[in-house]
Formats: sequence, C-alpha cells, structure tokens
Amino acid sequence: MAVNAKELDHQKISQIIDSYPGEKRYILAMMQDIQKHFNYLPREAMEMIAAHVNAPFSRIYTMATFYKAFSLVPKGRYNIKVCDGTACHIKGSNVLIDQIYKLLGIKPGETTEDGLFSIETVNCLGACAIAPVMMVNERVHPKVTSSSIIEIIKSYGGEVNEPAD
Amino acid sequence: MSPLTNFDGKMILVCCGTGCQANGSMDIYHAFQEQLADNKAVEVKTYTKSTGCNGWCEKGPLVKIMPDDITYIQVSTKDVPEIIEKTIINHKLVERLLYRDPVTKKRYKSHHDIDFYKKQHKVALRNIGEIDPASIDDYIAVGGYANLDKLLNQMTPDQVVEEVLASGLRGRGGGGFPTGMKWKACAAVDRYPKYVICNGDEGDPGAFMDRSIMEGDPHSVIEGMITCAYAIGASAGYIYVRDEYGLAIKNLTKAINDARARGYLGKNILGSNLSFDIEIVRGGGAFVCGEETALIASIEGNIGEPRDKYVFPTEKGLWGQPTVINNVETWANIPVIIAEGAEKFAYLGTEGSKGTKVFSLVGKVVNTGLVEVPMGTTLREIIYGIGGGIQGGRKFKAVQTGGPSGGCIPESLLDLQVDFDTLTKAGSMMGSGGLIVMDDRTCMVEVARYYLNFLAGESCGKCYPCREGIKRLLEITTRICEGKGQVEDLDLLKDISETLVSASLCALGKTAANPVMSTLKYFRNEYLAHIVDHKCPAGVCQNLTEFYIDAELCKGCTLCAKNCPVDAIKGEKKKAHAIEQEKCIKCGQCIDNCKFQAVKVR
Amino acid sequence: MKIKIDGIEIEVTSGETILEAAKKSGINIPTLCYSPAFGGKGHCRMCMVEVKNGNATRLVASCTYPISSEIEVKTSTPAIEKIRRNIVMLIAKRAEGSELMQEMAKEYGCTDNALQGDPNERCILCRLCCYACEEMGTSAISAIMRGIEKRIATPYDEPSAACIGCGACAEICPTGAIEMLEEGGKRTIWNKTFELVTCEKCGKPFATREQLNYVKQKSGIEMTGRLCESCRKREVAGKMSQSIVELN
Repeated sequence: MAVNAKELDHQKISQIIDSYPGEKRYILAMMQDIQKHFNYLPREAMEMIAAHVNAPFSRIYTMATFYKAFSLVPKGRYNIKVCDGTACHIKGSNVLIDQIYKLLGIKPGETTEDGLFSIETVNCLGACAIAPVMMVNERVHPKVTSSSIIEIIKSYGGEVNEPAD
Repeated sequence: MSPLTNFDGKMILVCCGTGCQANGSMDIYHAFQEQLADNKAVEVKTYTKSTGCNGWCEKGPLVKIMPDDITYIQVSTKDVPEIIEKTIINHKLVERLLYRDPVTKKRYKSHHDIDFYKKQHKVALRNIGEIDPASIDDYIAVGGYANLDKLLNQMTPDQVVEEVLASGLRGRGGGGFPTGMKWKACAAVDRYPKYVICNGDEGDPGAFMDRSIMEGDPHSVIEGMITCAYAIGASAGYIYVRDEYGLAIKNLTKAINDARARGYLGKNILGSNLSFDIEIVRGGGAFVCGEETALIASIEGNIGEPRDKYVFPTEKGLWGQPTVINNVETWANIPVIIAEGAEKFAYLGTEGSKGTKVFSLVGKVVNTGLVEVPMGTTLREIIYGIGGGIQGGRKFKAVQTGGPSGGCIPESLLDLQVDFDTLTKAGSMMGSGGLIVMDDRTCMVEVARYYLNFLAGESCGKCYPCREGIKRLLEITTRICEGKGQVEDLDLLKDISETLVSASLCALGKTAANPVMSTLKYFRNEYLAHIVDHKCPAGVCQNLTEFYIDAELCKGCTLCAKNCPVDAIKGEKKKAHAIEQEKCIKCGQCIDNCKFQAVKVR
Repeated sequence: MKIKIDGIEIEVTSGETILEAAKKSGINIPTLCYSPAFGGKGHCRMCMVEVKNGNATRLVASCTYPISSEIEVKTSTPAIEKIRRNIVMLIAKRAEGSELMQEMAKEYGCTDNALQGDPNERCILCRLCCYACEEMGTSAISAIMRGIEKRIATPYDEPSAACIGCGACAEICPTGAIEMLEEGGKRTIWNKTFELVTCEKCGKPFATREQLNYVKQKSGIEMTGRLCESCRKREVAGKMSQSIVELN
C-alpha cells in the first residue's frame, strides 16, 4: 500500500521530535511516538530525527531495523498480533497463524491489499493464562480458537475466504 | 484519602489486570460504579476499586467484596445487578459465582480458603489485587513508604547494604546474583554520578510476573529503588519497561508523578541528603535488552548489543558510571526487607535461596496464573497442589522453567525443591520464573525448535557463536521435525551447543542451547522416534503425524466433526466417525476436544 | 605490571587488553574480526584464551579483556582449539563463497559436516567495513537487523547520500565481499554509481568527485592538482629530493 508523501504531516513530526532534547538517548522515544501516531516510521521522519540529534541517518535506520516495535511499511487499520509466546505456542498459536493466512491471504509482516488488516507474530503479550492470545490493535482476545477467529475477523469488517463445505 | 483498611460499608475490588481486562473486567468495574452511584436501595457506603492482577487468570474476571472477604469468579457485567442486590444490600452470597472444587464439589466463599491461594505466600505480590495501583494513598494505607523516613534519616547507607546482604535476596530476573553484594560493590566505588536501573523488559515468553507488579503495585518498585539510591549514593534512576506493556507504563508514570508530589522523589527527600528521581524508558521490542549491558546500551541511545562484562556495571555501567541494575521483582522485595528485617525475610526459603519467588504457571495446567511460594517448594506442590494438575486429565510430560534460557524438567524430577541451584543442577535454570507445563500432546523436539526459532530472531547477531550457532541448531532441529534428521545430527547438536556455552559473548548465547540440551538429555527417545521411526509420538510435527479415530472408543457425539476447521471428519450421530487424511491439517482440535480419548496418534 | 602468556613473562600496562599485550610481544592469537586500526571488538571469539586469576580460571575474549592484575594466560588448550575449530566451521559454512574461509576450514579440519552452506555469501560480518566508513565520517553503511538476519547495508538498500564511493570498505574487507565495479570511468559500489576523476599526470581514473570534495570539506585543504596516489607520491618525493639537493 503506497503512502502519498504529500500527505505526510510534517508539522506533526516536528512537534513530536522537538518535544525531546537533541540527544541520542531520546532516539528510541522519538521513534516510538512517531510509530504510534503514523502506524509506521516514514523515511522523512527518520531523516528529521537524524538531523535533530546530529547522528548519521544509517544509525537511525539501524535502530529502526533492530527493534521490532517499528515498522518501515504502514500497518493495516487493524493490526493483528498473534502471540507466539511459549504458552500460546503449545496451545496452538501457529495453527491460528495458518488460519489467518487462509482467511485473509497474508503472512506475518504483510498487509491486505485494502489496507484493512496486517498481521505480525509477537513473542509474548504477557497474558499467558488466557492463551492462545491475539490482539487486534489495543484489544486483547483471549483463548482464540481456529473457529472463533473467523468471527473475530468478520467483526472487524473482514471479508474472509470461507472454508469450502 | 484511602479508606482501604478502616472503612465503613462495602468495598468492591474488581481485578483489572490484563488477563481479566481481556475478559471485560473494565466494563464490570464501570458497571459497579454506575449502578452504585445514587442508588437509593443501597444503604451502606460503597467503594469500588480497580486493582492489579490477582494471579488467578484462569478464573477471571475476579470480583472481591470486603470486609466480607467474598471472591466471585468468572463474573460478567450481567451479574452486577444481582451482586449488588444480593451481596451489597442483603448480605447474601451469589452461590453460583463462588469457586467450586471440581472433586469435592464444595463451594468456597473466600479465595483465602482455596488451594490455589492458600498454599501461596505473597511477599512481592503482597498488595496486588488489594489496592488500586493508581492510588498512592492506597499504597500508604497498607504500609508503603512508612519506613522511608527511618531509612533516610536514621540508618546509614552501609546499614542498608548490610540489611539487604543479610536477607540473602538473590536477583529475581534470572541471574540470581546476590543483591546485597551488587549494592555493596557499587557503594564502594568512589565515582559519581551513580545510577539505579529497574529491568522491566520481561522478555521470557510465558512470564508476566513483572508486568503484574509494575501494573498492580508500581510504588513497591519505586520504594525499592529509592532505598538503593540511598545505599549507593545514586542521583538518578531509570525504569526500562518493554514497549508492549502499555498499562504498566501508564501506572508507573502516575506512581512516579504522585511520589514526586508527596516528596518521596526529588531533591532532599524527606529532609535527607538524598536527591533522587526516576525516568521511564520504553523498550523497543527486543528480548536481548533484558540482558543488563544491552539494556544499558539501549538507554544510552544505541541498539541493544551486549558487551563483554569483564568489568561489571557496578563499576562501569550506564554512561560508564557505577550502576546497580535489578529486576522488578527484586525491587518489590526490598521494602519488605527494610520494614520487617532481613532475618524474617530469610526465614523463608532454602539455604542458598532465601525468600519467595513469583512463578507464572501456564500451559496445560488447570489453574493458570501467578503463584508466589517460598523457595524450596517442590514442582509437584506447585503444579498439582496449587495448579490443580494437568488439564483435560491428560498426562504430565515436562515443565519448562527459565524461559528460552532454561530447560525442560521431566516427571522423574517433580519432587525437586525449586530454587536457583537445584534447577541449574537439573540442566535448567530459575530464569524469571516461568513454569510452562507440558502434557503428552507436546512434542519436546518441537519445543526445542520453537525456542531456537525465538532466539534466532532475538539474538543481537553480533557474536559469531551465538548467531551462527543458533542458526545451525535451528536448522538441524527443523530438519528433525520435518522427518529429515540423521542420527549424526544429535552429536552435531551437542558439539555446536558446547561452543555456544563456552564462547558466546553474553548470557543469551551461553544459555541458548539449554532447551535443546535438556530435551536431548531427558527425551532422547523422542528425538530418535523422529529420526529413525519417522514418527512424532505427541502428534505435533505435521509430516510425522497421523490422527485417526478409534472406532471402539468413539461414541459418535460429533463434537470433533463440528469443531474441525477443514471439515475433515465424517460420521453419523452415535456412529463411529473417521478422519479424511487428505483434508486433515493436523491442527489437533479433534484430539483436544474428544472427551472419550478416541482420537489417537498413529 | 607483569603477566605470563604461555609461560612467557611480559611487561604490560594496566587496562591493556591481553591481545594487545600479546601482539606487542610477538605472541600470535588467531582473530577474524580484529584490525589494528580499530582494535578488538569481541565479535568473532576466535581470540578466546584461558585466564588464571588467583585460583579462578576461565575463558575470556583476549581482544576485550582489560588486564588489571598479574594473570597467567594460555592461548591454546584443547577446549580453546575446539572453539576455534567450530567457529571456523560455522563461518566457513556461512560464507561458502569466501576462499579465505574455505582455506581456514581446511586448516582446522572442519570441512565435513551436514550443514547447508551459501556459495554466494562472502561476508563474515566482521564489520570492519562499517568501522572504516564511520572513521571516514560518512557512516553510509551499517549492520542492520538483528540475529540471523543481521547484514551490512545502506538504508533501504538504496544508494546512500552519505556514500562518497571511496572504497575504503571494499579495501578493508578480508573476504572481498563488497563489490566495487570500475568501468568506463565510473565506479559502482553499494548500488551507487560515481564518476571517477582522472589523474592530471597519468590519466588514470583514481577517485570519485565526491571523495575529493569530501576530503576538501573535512580538511579545509585544497589539493594542488588532481593527482592519483602514485603520482602524488612521486611529486612529493621529487620535491623532497629537490630540497635535499638544494640544501646541499
């Protein structure tokens, strides 16, 4: 899904960046705020951070690719995080991941064509007692099964490839 | 004003830990607030509080009523009017919401009488579920900050260090290093400024004790850090919280602001010489940042690559300055040591591991949740006595302790008295306290592969043994799970593992081979079954598994067919069903659902 | 203070690394990621040695271990040789395209194993290229990603605005993993093509325009005449011998 550079809110980026001192130790915090607002890290935002803290662009890019909190491409309107932590894994989280692929046609790291859904696997959401856990944006879905997942995705307006009868 | 301990009327405590929130407890909290406000039928004063995690996530949402000491489980918003009418107004119990023992069928009013809680001993978790974490007054009402004045104005920093040393407290994050020794070493360095760091990066999948402490009792961490700052002469503290813990960050932020407003943080705290303040740093999503030198690098504004620790952070840490870095649970224990004394703390536990430990008991166990017990409690007592045994009546196979850096412990060692040293001797480690219970439907080779896959992505990638070693261990175990393993692979696994242990730069690499080595030690036959027989006995590895229905045991209840996501099971009601192998995706729903154990692995 | 390496007593200064002390005394410890320009970084772990400090013995990376007491060091033991052998095995498999690594694998006797190699890979992730680029002040390349996905790249794998095409990275790479093509007066490296400037004297293309501009910008010195390295050397040598003649 292409993002029109003209639509990028430069003022918002400046506002976020300028709220921090121009020191390297705030790079992570700046990137987090930008990620939260834009749902990804626009290249221009990273270039502006580099300028603000007087660091080479490659350093910012290195940090953006090292830390998994960041995405270099826009995420879907509904970002699905399937927990693949140990407790969830032994309760079949990989089956859920396969299910989502069958339903939406996307693999972890991808976004649907209409920009509605993106999926990623995360290592542990810290809600192990209600495994397997799936988050859609901020909402936590407990004890998800390969059947209930169909209803959950539909509830977000997803058009699913229903399994053939 | 907190009416927590001395109040008239009824207090309703609604658990709003992440687990219960996922089950709608916030709505329950709001429902109580709305329905009790201006409610003419309620004659007594009522207080509704949202609390942190009670630890019994399996039975959430939990609602407690005080002073009656009633615990209602699996509450929904629909139950709120009935609870208000029956319990708040008429002082009667809503029986159906009380916990019922599955064997004796007896109903329990108070959670204190239920095995899950009765057998625990809460120290680090003492306040969670009892107070509103967003209220500093609640924390003070239960004794929080009460000893701060005595600490700062009557005790000397050396006395504080000695008290922590005498307690025998060892780091609760995984390393198990004696906390008092760490503080003592840092206090001895005559270089300033000094720093105090809280490691809230809880990265072990399956572990959520630090989250519940940061969410449910943030002030206990702050008080612990202030204590250390005084002991070593630090002027600034940092709480590094993993980015995924939004509620923890929110509650910690409020707690820091409230503590500052009351004069517990800032310049000349309570009129003493100590000036100390705390900043929160959000992690960026990297398990390796739980390693202290990587965490320090991250706070400094770098990627989380660890450094060789030939000089300890207590001498050269954050920005090259003397630094004490401890885990969340370690910090939460400090106020108790100061308040009650080292001797009382050291009364619990074993010779080498004093005090209690919070475990996250998850996986295939009946009662999943957070459990705090004295060190030395056996695995059997935790898993069966508190955990209620294996779900679905299945067979215990192994318990994984210590996260990706730990190992799997088999049935033969269930009577192991859990402490730092016994777990290490058994080929695993304490780690942060994750206890993942596995049953006969868990493939141990796949578990090793799973952890290696996790570590392959979480390794920082700097040093060769770790990056290349884990890559190859993953390659080999994946091959074995796919049915392409060779017997020689087992020796190669051992060979590479040894290099990981001896040559890796940091603890992530050094312990990365534990899952594969411990499963090889205790479950070698399972590896051989994959390699030689091309079978996965647990029915997990899809290429090596075939599910079938035993016609003699099948009752034709159609439960499996109804739940099959690919409609691969056919059969008439009350007649034996059969699985169409070409359609079967080996998801295992049928074998997990069947009440008659009629679905089997070939 | 004095320490012992392989039984030999040597004089060291506190804070010096074991590797530095060994090198000074002519004692060889194998390395893969070390360079005299940047010192020890602790990536490859080939330089592990056994250190005895009082009663405690342990294995440490000699390139990052600072000497602070009178230790006894052994640069080779069966355990250490096993480590080196396995590291070479792992890296030789990773970088199957590197002749250097294949030779080392033969030397250490670890060519026979059931691991999947990549014949197109030469990079051993020693990061010397990154350090060189950082030293230049350009920092056009870095080690991106983490874990098994870690690799050297420019941001977005696109031509970097910061890259001046100096080729320092390609020069310092021990396995020739960085492709630098020179053809028709142009140099292409890291997906960026530069025009090469020719030597006024010999006509050989020798540097990129960006390189010369960068040097001028950083040093504030304008070079008189565009001369390649050999011609410049000859010019300087010529001027020197002339002044010696004049002095005499």
